[in-house]
Amino acid sequence: MHDGIHVEQAGLPSATICTDRFIPTARGMAKMWGAEDYPTIFTQHPIENLDRPALRERAEGLATEVAAILTGG
Amino acid sequence: MTTTSFTDTTTASWDDALSAIEKGYELGWSDGLPVVPPTTARVAEFIGYAARPPDEELGELPERRRVITVEKAAANAVMAGCLPEYFPVVLAATEAMLDPVFNLVGPSSSMGGAAVLCIVNGTVRERIGLNSRNNLFGPGNRANGTIGRSIRLILMNACAAIPGLFDRSVIGHPGKYTYCIAEAEGETHWTPLHVERGFDAGDSTVTVFAGESPRQIRAVGRPEAILYAMADVASSLGTSMSTSGSVGDVSVGIRQGQIVVTFAGNSNLWRDWTKDKVREYLHANIQRSVADLKRGLVLRGDIEPGDEAAMVSLIPEPEDILVVFAGGEESNMASVIPSWGPKVGSTAVTKAIRLP
Repeated sequence: MHDGIHVEQAGLPSATICTDRFIPTARGMAKMWGAEDYPTIFTQHPIENLDRPALRERAEGLATEVAAILTGG
Repeated sequence: MTTTSFTDTTTASWDDALSAIEKGYELGWSDGLPVVPPTTARVAEFIGYAARPPDEELGELPERRRVITVEKAAANAVMAGCLPEYFPVVLAATEAMLDPVFNLVGPSSSMGGAAVLCIVNGTVRERIGLNSRNNLFGPGNRANGTIGRSIRLILMNACAAIPGLFDRSVIGHPGKYTYCIAEAEGETHWTPLHVERGFDAGDSTVTVFAGESPRQIRAVGRPEAILYAMADVASSLGTSMSTSGSVGDVSVGIRQGQIVVTFAGNSNLWRDWTKDKVREYLHANIQRSVADLKRGLVLRGDIEPGDEAAMVSLIPEPEDILVVFAGGEESNMASVIPSWGPKVGSTAVTKAIRLP
Protein backbone atom coordinates (compact mmCIF):
# COMPACT_ATOMS: atom_id res chain seq x y z
CA MET A 1 0.00 0.00 0.00
CA HIS A 2 2.73 2.40 1.01
CA ASP A 3 4.69 1.85 -2.19
CA GLY A 4 1.60 1.91 -4.43
CA ILE A 5 0.40 5.21 -2.98
CA HIS A 6 3.85 6.76 -3.39
CA VAL A 7 4.25 5.56 -6.96
CA GLU A 8 0.84 7.06 -7.73
CA GLN A 9 1.79 10.31 -6.01
CA ALA A 10 4.97 10.40 -8.11
CA GLY A 11 2.81 10.42 -11.22
CA LEU A 12 2.96 6.78 -12.24
CA PRO A 13 -0.33 4.89 -12.30
CA SER A 14 -0.30 2.03 -9.78
CA ALA A 15 -2.61 -0.80 -8.82
CA THR A 16 -2.21 -2.47 -5.45
CA ILE A 17 -3.52 -5.93 -4.65
CA CYS A 18 -4.12 -6.84 -1.03
CA THR A 19 -5.65 -9.92 0.56
CA ASP A 20 -8.91 -9.30 2.36
CA ARG A 21 -7.57 -10.07 5.84
CA PHE A 22 -5.60 -6.83 5.52
CA ILE A 23 -8.46 -4.49 4.65
CA PRO A 24 -8.22 -2.40 7.87
CA THR A 25 -4.46 -2.12 7.50
CA ALA A 26 -4.73 -1.10 3.85
CA ARG A 27 -7.44 1.46 4.56
CA GLY A 28 -5.49 2.78 7.54
CA MET A 29 -2.35 3.22 5.46
CA ALA A 30 -4.29 5.03 2.74
CA LYS A 31 -5.84 7.34 5.33
CA MET A 32 -2.45 7.94 6.94
CA TRP A 33 -1.15 9.22 3.59
CA GLY A 34 -4.25 11.27 2.77
CA ALA A 35 -5.21 8.87 0.00
CA GLU A 36 -8.54 7.52 1.25
CA ASP A 37 -9.75 7.09 -2.32
CA TYR A 38 -6.70 5.17 -3.48
CA PRO A 39 -8.10 2.24 -5.46
CA THR A 40 -7.12 -1.06 -3.87
CA ILE A 41 -7.99 -4.49 -5.18
CA PHE A 42 -8.81 -6.99 -2.48
CA THR A 43 -8.53 -10.69 -3.10
CA GLN A 44 -9.45 -13.61 -0.92
CA HIS A 45 -6.95 -14.48 1.80
CA PRO A 46 -4.62 -16.40 1.87
CA ILE A 47 -2.35 -16.58 -1.12
CA GLU A 48 0.84 -17.81 0.56
CA ASN A 49 -0.19 -21.46 0.29
CA LEU A 50 -1.05 -21.28 -3.40
CA ASP A 51 1.21 -23.09 -5.83
CA ARG A 52 2.32 -21.37 -8.99
CA PRO A 53 -0.59 -22.45 -11.23
CA ALA A 54 -3.15 -21.44 -8.59
CA LEU A 55 -1.44 -18.11 -8.03
CA ARG A 56 -1.37 -17.48 -11.76
CA GLU A 57 -5.08 -18.28 -11.98
CA ARG A 58 -5.76 -15.83 -9.17
CA ALA A 59 -3.71 -13.13 -10.88
CA GLU A 60 -5.46 -13.66 -14.19
CA GLY A 61 -8.78 -13.25 -12.48
CA LEU A 62 -7.69 -9.82 -11.27
CA ALA A 63 -6.01 -8.69 -14.48
CA THR A 64 -9.03 -6.86 -15.89
CA GLU A 65 -9.44 -4.89 -12.70
CA VAL A 66 -5.73 -4.05 -12.59
CA ALA A 67 -5.81 -2.85 -16.20
CA ALA A 68 -8.87 -0.73 -15.52
CA ILE A 69 -7.19 1.01 -12.59
CA LEU A 70 -3.95 1.58 -14.49
CA THR A 71 -5.75 3.06 -17.50
CA GLY A 72 -8.21 5.06 -15.44
CA GLY A 73 -11.12 3.03 -16.79
CA MET B 1 -3.89 16.13 -1.64
CA THR B 2 -4.56 16.70 2.01
CA THR B 3 -2.76 14.79 4.68
CA THR B 4 -3.65 14.13 8.25
CA SER B 5 -1.36 15.25 11.01
CA PHE B 6 -0.17 12.58 13.40
CA THR B 7 1.84 14.82 15.66
CA ASP B 8 -1.03 16.15 17.73
CA THR B 9 -1.13 15.65 21.47
CA THR B 10 -4.33 14.49 23.12
CA THR B 11 -5.19 15.90 26.52
CA ALA B 12 -7.88 14.74 28.89
CA SER B 13 -9.04 15.47 32.39
CA TRP B 14 -10.37 13.26 35.16
CA ASP B 15 -11.74 13.41 38.66
CA ASP B 16 -9.86 10.65 40.46
CA ALA B 17 -7.26 7.96 39.93
CA LEU B 18 -9.65 5.18 38.97
CA SER B 19 -11.50 7.26 36.42
CA ALA B 20 -8.14 8.38 35.03
CA ILE B 21 -7.14 4.78 34.52
CA GLU B 22 -10.46 4.05 32.83
CA LYS B 23 -9.99 7.15 30.67
CA GLY B 24 -6.66 5.71 29.55
CA TYR B 25 -8.50 2.63 28.33
CA GLU B 26 -11.19 4.72 26.60
CA LEU B 27 -8.57 6.73 24.75
CA GLY B 28 -6.82 3.60 23.57
CA TRP B 29 -3.59 4.34 25.40
CA SER B 30 -3.29 0.95 27.08
CA ASP B 31 -1.53 -2.29 26.20
CA GLY B 32 -4.32 -4.08 28.06
CA LEU B 33 -3.00 -3.32 31.53
CA PRO B 34 -3.84 -0.18 33.51
CA VAL B 35 -1.69 2.82 32.67
CA VAL B 36 -0.41 5.38 35.15
CA PRO B 37 -2.19 8.67 34.38
CA PRO B 38 0.31 10.80 32.44
CA THR B 39 -0.31 14.09 34.16
CA THR B 40 1.37 17.10 32.59
CA ALA B 41 3.36 17.60 35.79
CA ARG B 42 4.65 14.03 35.82
CA VAL B 43 5.55 14.13 32.12
CA ALA B 44 7.38 17.42 32.69
CA GLU B 45 9.24 15.85 35.60
CA PHE B 46 10.53 13.06 33.33
CA ILE B 47 11.60 15.52 30.64
CA GLY B 48 13.30 17.65 33.27
CA TYR B 49 15.19 14.69 34.66
CA ALA B 50 16.58 13.81 31.24
CA ALA B 51 17.41 17.50 30.67
CA ARG B 52 16.39 17.38 27.04
CA PRO B 53 13.99 19.62 25.13
CA PRO B 54 10.45 18.19 24.94
CA ASP B 55 10.26 18.72 21.19
CA GLU B 56 13.64 17.13 20.48
CA GLU B 57 13.16 14.50 17.80
CA LEU B 58 14.40 11.03 18.71
CA GLY B 59 13.80 9.73 15.23
CA GLU B 60 11.05 9.05 12.78
CA LEU B 61 9.04 6.22 11.34
CA PRO B 62 8.66 7.60 7.83
CA GLU B 63 6.37 4.86 6.51
CA ARG B 64 3.77 5.90 9.09
CA ARG B 65 4.56 9.61 9.05
CA ARG B 66 5.52 9.57 12.71
CA VAL B 67 8.15 11.70 14.38
CA ILE B 68 8.87 10.63 17.93
CA THR B 69 9.79 13.38 20.36
CA VAL B 70 11.13 13.37 23.90
CA GLU B 71 7.70 14.45 25.11
CA LYS B 72 5.92 11.54 23.39
CA ALA B 73 8.41 9.13 24.91
CA ALA B 74 7.99 10.71 28.34
CA ALA B 75 4.20 10.39 28.32
CA ASN B 76 4.47 6.70 27.54
CA ALA B 77 7.23 6.11 30.09
CA VAL B 78 4.98 7.69 32.72
CA MET B 79 2.06 5.51 31.64
CA ALA B 80 4.26 2.41 31.79
CA GLY B 81 5.04 3.09 35.44
CA CYS B 82 8.65 4.22 35.10
CA LEU B 83 10.50 6.37 37.59
CA PRO B 84 12.10 9.53 36.17
CA GLU B 85 15.58 8.02 36.51
CA TYR B 86 14.60 5.21 34.12
CA PHE B 87 13.70 7.68 31.39
CA PRO B 88 17.20 8.11 29.87
CA VAL B 89 17.19 4.37 29.16
CA VAL B 90 13.81 4.65 27.45
CA LEU B 91 15.09 7.56 25.35
CA ALA B 92 18.17 5.64 24.21
CA ALA B 93 16.13 2.54 23.41
CA THR B 94 13.70 4.66 21.38
CA GLU B 95 16.55 6.26 19.46
CA ALA B 96 18.00 2.82 18.83
CA MET B 97 14.80 1.30 17.47
CA LEU B 98 14.30 4.32 15.21
CA ASP B 99 17.76 3.88 13.70
CA PRO B 100 17.25 3.06 10.00
CA VAL B 101 19.16 -0.24 10.17
CA PHE B 102 16.70 -1.49 12.79
CA ASN B 103 13.97 -0.91 10.20
CA LEU B 104 11.24 -0.57 12.80
CA VAL B 105 8.40 -0.74 10.29
CA GLY B 106 9.29 -4.41 9.73
CA PRO B 107 9.33 -5.88 13.24
CA SER B 108 6.51 -3.58 14.40
CA SER B 109 4.11 -4.66 11.68
CA SER B 110 5.07 -8.11 10.52
CA MET B 111 3.04 -11.28 10.93
CA GLY B 112 6.23 -12.70 12.49
CA GLY B 113 5.33 -11.14 15.82
CA ALA B 114 8.61 -9.75 17.07
CA ALA B 115 9.17 -7.82 20.26
CA VAL B 116 11.88 -5.24 20.84
CA LEU B 117 14.32 -6.80 23.29
CA CYS B 118 16.32 -4.19 25.22
CA ILE B 119 19.68 -5.26 26.68
CA VAL B 120 21.19 -2.72 29.08
CA ASN B 121 24.89 -2.45 29.90
CA GLY B 122 26.99 -0.12 32.02
CA THR B 123 26.73 1.62 35.35
CA VAL B 124 23.11 2.64 34.82
CA ARG B 125 22.18 -0.93 35.74
CA GLU B 126 23.15 -0.46 39.39
CA ARG B 127 21.99 3.13 39.42
CA ILE B 128 18.38 2.21 38.65
CA GLY B 129 18.38 -1.36 39.95
CA LEU B 130 17.94 -3.29 36.72
CA ASN B 131 17.80 -7.04 37.14
CA SER B 132 20.33 -9.21 35.35
CA ARG B 133 19.96 -12.35 37.42
CA ASN B 134 17.13 -14.55 38.76
CA ASN B 135 13.96 -14.40 36.65
CA LEU B 136 15.85 -12.60 33.92
CA PHE B 137 12.86 -12.51 31.59
CA GLY B 138 10.34 -12.88 34.37
CA PRO B 139 8.42 -10.54 36.64
CA GLY B 140 9.35 -8.77 39.84
CA ASN B 141 11.55 -5.82 38.95
CA ARG B 142 10.14 -2.36 38.34
CA ALA B 143 12.95 -1.05 36.13
CA ASN B 144 12.98 -4.03 33.79
CA GLY B 145 9.20 -4.27 33.73
CA THR B 146 8.43 -0.63 33.09
CA ILE B 147 11.27 0.23 30.71
CA GLY B 148 10.28 -2.66 28.47
CA ARG B 149 6.64 -1.70 28.75
CA SER B 150 7.48 1.88 27.80
CA ILE B 151 8.86 0.65 24.50
CA ARG B 152 5.65 -1.24 23.76
CA LEU B 153 3.49 1.77 24.63
CA ILE B 154 5.66 4.03 22.46
CA LEU B 155 5.23 1.56 19.64
CA MET B 156 1.46 1.45 20.08
CA ASN B 157 0.72 5.08 20.93
CA ALA B 158 3.40 6.99 19.06
CA CYS B 159 4.33 4.62 16.23
CA ALA B 160 0.81 3.34 15.40
CA ALA B 161 1.80 -0.30 15.95
CA ILE B 162 -1.76 -1.07 16.96
CA PRO B 163 -2.66 -4.76 17.10
CA GLY B 164 -4.89 -5.72 14.19
CA LEU B 165 -4.29 -2.45 12.40
CA PHE B 166 -0.60 -1.87 11.67
CA ASP B 167 0.75 -4.58 13.98
CA ARG B 168 -0.31 -7.74 12.16
CA SER B 169 1.41 -10.32 14.41
CA VAL B 170 -0.24 -13.67 13.91
CA ILE B 171 0.84 -15.04 17.30
CA GLY B 172 3.26 -12.60 18.91
CA HIS B 173 4.71 -13.47 22.31
CA PRO B 174 4.63 -12.30 25.93
CA GLY B 175 7.76 -10.20 25.39
CA LYS B 176 5.56 -7.79 23.51
CA TYR B 177 4.29 -6.56 26.88
CA THR B 178 7.78 -5.96 28.21
CA TYR B 179 11.20 -7.27 27.19
CA CYS B 180 14.12 -5.64 28.97
CA ILE B 181 17.14 -7.28 30.57
CA ALA B 182 20.59 -6.24 31.78
CA GLU B 183 23.89 -8.04 31.47
CA ALA B 184 25.53 -9.22 34.73
CA GLU B 185 28.75 -7.80 33.41
CA GLY B 186 30.47 -7.45 36.78
CA GLU B 187 30.09 -11.13 37.50
CA THR B 188 31.90 -12.62 34.54
CA HIS B 189 35.31 -12.47 32.87
CA TRP B 190 33.53 -12.08 29.54
CA THR B 191 33.73 -8.76 27.71
CA PRO B 192 30.46 -6.86 28.15
CA LEU B 193 28.19 -6.65 25.13
CA HIS B 194 28.52 -2.89 24.77
CA VAL B 195 32.33 -3.04 24.79
CA GLU B 196 32.23 -5.69 22.10
CA ARG B 197 30.02 -3.34 20.11
CA GLY B 198 32.48 -0.45 20.27
CA PHE B 199 31.60 1.45 23.44
CA ASP B 200 33.81 2.19 26.43
CA ALA B 201 33.43 0.05 29.54
CA GLY B 202 32.37 3.19 31.44
CA ASP B 203 29.52 3.94 29.04
CA SER B 204 25.95 2.93 29.70
CA THR B 205 24.14 1.62 26.65
CA VAL B 206 21.04 -0.12 25.47
CA THR B 207 21.00 -2.61 22.61
CA VAL B 208 17.72 -3.26 20.82
CA PHE B 209 17.04 -6.50 19.00
CA ALA B 210 13.89 -7.57 17.16
CA GLY B 211 13.42 -10.95 18.72
CA GLU B 212 11.18 -13.94 18.97
CA SER B 213 10.54 -15.29 22.46
CA PRO B 214 13.37 -16.80 24.50
CA ARG B 215 13.69 -20.56 24.40
CA GLN B 216 15.26 -21.92 27.58
CA ILE B 217 18.17 -24.34 27.31
CA ARG B 218 18.20 -26.73 30.22
CA ALA B 219 21.53 -28.37 29.59
CA VAL B 220 24.07 -27.95 32.35
CA GLY B 221 27.38 -29.39 33.49
CA ARG B 222 29.90 -28.74 30.76
CA PRO B 223 30.24 -25.83 28.34
CA GLU B 224 30.35 -28.16 25.36
CA ALA B 225 27.08 -29.80 26.39
CA ILE B 226 25.35 -26.45 26.84
CA LEU B 227 26.58 -25.17 23.48
CA TYR B 228 25.68 -28.42 21.75
CA ALA B 229 22.11 -28.17 23.04
CA MET B 230 21.99 -24.46 22.26
CA ALA B 231 23.06 -25.03 18.67
CA ASP B 232 20.48 -27.79 18.35
CA VAL B 233 17.67 -25.51 19.52
CA ALA B 234 18.84 -22.59 17.40
CA SER B 235 18.96 -24.82 14.34
CA SER B 236 15.26 -25.66 14.57
CA LEU B 237 13.06 -25.52 11.54
CA GLY B 238 10.34 -22.96 12.02
CA THR B 239 12.34 -20.05 13.35
CA SER B 240 12.47 -16.96 11.23
CA MET B 241 16.13 -17.68 10.49
CA SER B 242 15.29 -21.01 8.89
CA THR B 243 12.45 -19.89 6.69
CA SER B 244 12.49 -19.16 3.02
CA GLY B 245 11.81 -15.97 1.16
CA SER B 246 15.19 -14.38 1.68
CA VAL B 247 15.27 -10.66 1.18
CA GLY B 248 19.02 -10.64 1.59
CA ASP B 249 21.57 -12.86 -0.03
CA VAL B 250 19.38 -14.87 -2.39
CA SER B 251 22.22 -17.28 -3.08
CA VAL B 252 21.71 -18.67 0.43
CA GLY B 253 18.00 -19.37 -0.05
CA ILE B 254 17.05 -18.89 3.59
CA ARG B 255 16.66 -15.79 5.65
CA GLN B 256 19.69 -16.01 7.96
CA GLY B 257 19.37 -13.70 10.92
CA GLN B 258 21.06 -12.52 14.06
CA ILE B 259 20.55 -14.26 17.37
CA VAL B 260 20.84 -13.41 21.06
CA VAL B 261 22.06 -16.07 23.46
CA THR B 262 22.14 -15.70 27.24
CA PHE B 263 24.19 -17.68 29.74
CA ALA B 264 23.23 -17.83 33.42
CA GLY B 265 24.80 -19.36 36.51
CA ASN B 266 28.39 -19.15 37.65
CA SER B 267 30.71 -17.70 35.04
CA ASN B 268 33.53 -19.89 36.33
CA LEU B 269 32.13 -22.75 34.25
CA TRP B 270 33.18 -20.74 31.19
CA ARG B 271 36.69 -19.91 32.45
CA ASP B 272 38.31 -21.52 29.38
CA TRP B 273 35.93 -19.83 26.97
CA THR B 274 35.75 -16.30 25.60
CA LYS B 275 32.68 -14.83 23.92
CA ASP B 276 34.55 -15.08 20.61
CA LYS B 277 35.13 -18.78 21.16
CA VAL B 278 31.45 -19.28 22.02
CA ARG B 279 30.45 -17.44 18.86
CA GLU B 280 32.85 -19.45 16.76
CA TYR B 281 31.39 -22.72 18.02
CA LEU B 282 27.78 -21.62 17.61
CA HIS B 283 28.25 -20.14 14.16
CA ALA B 284 29.78 -23.38 12.95
CA ASN B 285 27.00 -25.48 14.44
CA ILE B 286 23.78 -23.48 13.98
CA GLN B 287 22.94 -24.95 10.63
CA ARG B 288 20.56 -27.30 8.88
CA SER B 289 20.97 -29.77 6.07
CA VAL B 290 19.70 -28.97 2.60
CA ALA B 291 17.65 -32.16 2.83
CA ASP B 292 15.89 -30.99 6.01
CA LEU B 293 15.31 -27.55 4.55
CA LYS B 294 13.69 -29.21 1.54
CA ARG B 295 11.54 -31.43 3.80
CA GLY B 296 10.31 -28.29 5.50
CA LEU B 297 9.68 -26.63 2.12
CA VAL B 298 12.16 -23.95 3.07
CA LEU B 299 14.12 -24.83 -0.05
CA ARG B 300 12.35 -26.10 -3.14
CA GLY B 301 13.02 -29.22 -5.08
CA ASP B 302 13.43 -32.93 -4.58
CA ILE B 303 16.07 -34.23 -2.23
CA GLU B 304 19.18 -34.98 -4.23
CA PRO B 305 22.23 -37.13 -3.40
CA GLY B 306 24.45 -35.09 -1.13
CA ASP B 307 21.64 -32.99 0.35
CA GLU B 308 21.80 -34.79 3.70
CA ALA B 309 25.44 -33.82 4.13
CA ALA B 310 25.20 -30.34 2.63
CA MET B 311 24.69 -27.86 5.45
CA VAL B 312 23.36 -24.30 5.36
CA SER B 313 24.34 -21.84 8.09
CA LEU B 314 21.40 -20.01 9.65
CA ILE B 315 23.50 -17.05 10.82
CA PRO B 316 25.45 -14.79 8.45
CA GLU B 317 28.61 -14.21 10.51
CA PRO B 318 29.88 -15.06 14.02
CA GLU B 319 29.51 -11.39 14.97
CA ASP B 320 25.76 -11.77 14.43
CA ILE B 321 25.57 -13.84 17.60
CA LEU B 322 25.03 -11.47 20.55
CA VAL B 323 26.34 -13.20 23.68
CA VAL B 324 25.00 -11.97 27.02
CA PHE B 325 25.93 -13.21 30.49
CA ALA B 326 22.68 -12.96 32.45
CA GLY B 327 20.20 -15.06 34.40
CA GLY B 328 19.99 -16.60 37.83
CA GLU B 329 22.99 -17.82 39.74
CA GLU B 330 21.21 -21.07 40.56
CA SER B 331 22.11 -22.91 37.38
CA ASN B 332 24.08 -22.59 34.16
CA MET B 333 20.89 -22.54 32.14
CA ALA B 334 20.89 -20.58 28.93
CA SER B 335 18.50 -19.22 26.35
CA VAL B 336 18.24 -18.65 22.65
CA ILE B 337 16.38 -15.74 21.07
CA PRO B 338 16.16 -15.95 17.29
CA SER B 339 15.76 -12.74 15.38
CA TRP B 340 12.43 -11.73 13.94
CA GLY B 341 13.75 -11.71 10.41
CA PRO B 342 16.77 -11.61 8.19
CA LYS B 343 19.68 -9.41 9.18
CA VAL B 344 19.02 -7.12 6.22
CA GLY B 345 15.44 -6.79 7.49
CA SER B 346 16.45 -5.72 10.99
CA THR B 347 19.86 -5.41 12.59
CA ALA B 348 20.54 -4.96 16.30
CA VAL B 349 21.45 -1.40 17.29
CA THR B 350 23.30 -0.14 20.37
CA LYS B 351 23.01 3.46 21.59
CA ALA B 352 24.64 5.30 24.46
CA ILE B 353 22.39 6.27 27.37
CA ARG B 354 22.81 9.97 28.13
CA LEU B 355 22.73 10.12 31.90
CA PRO B 356 22.07 13.57 33.41
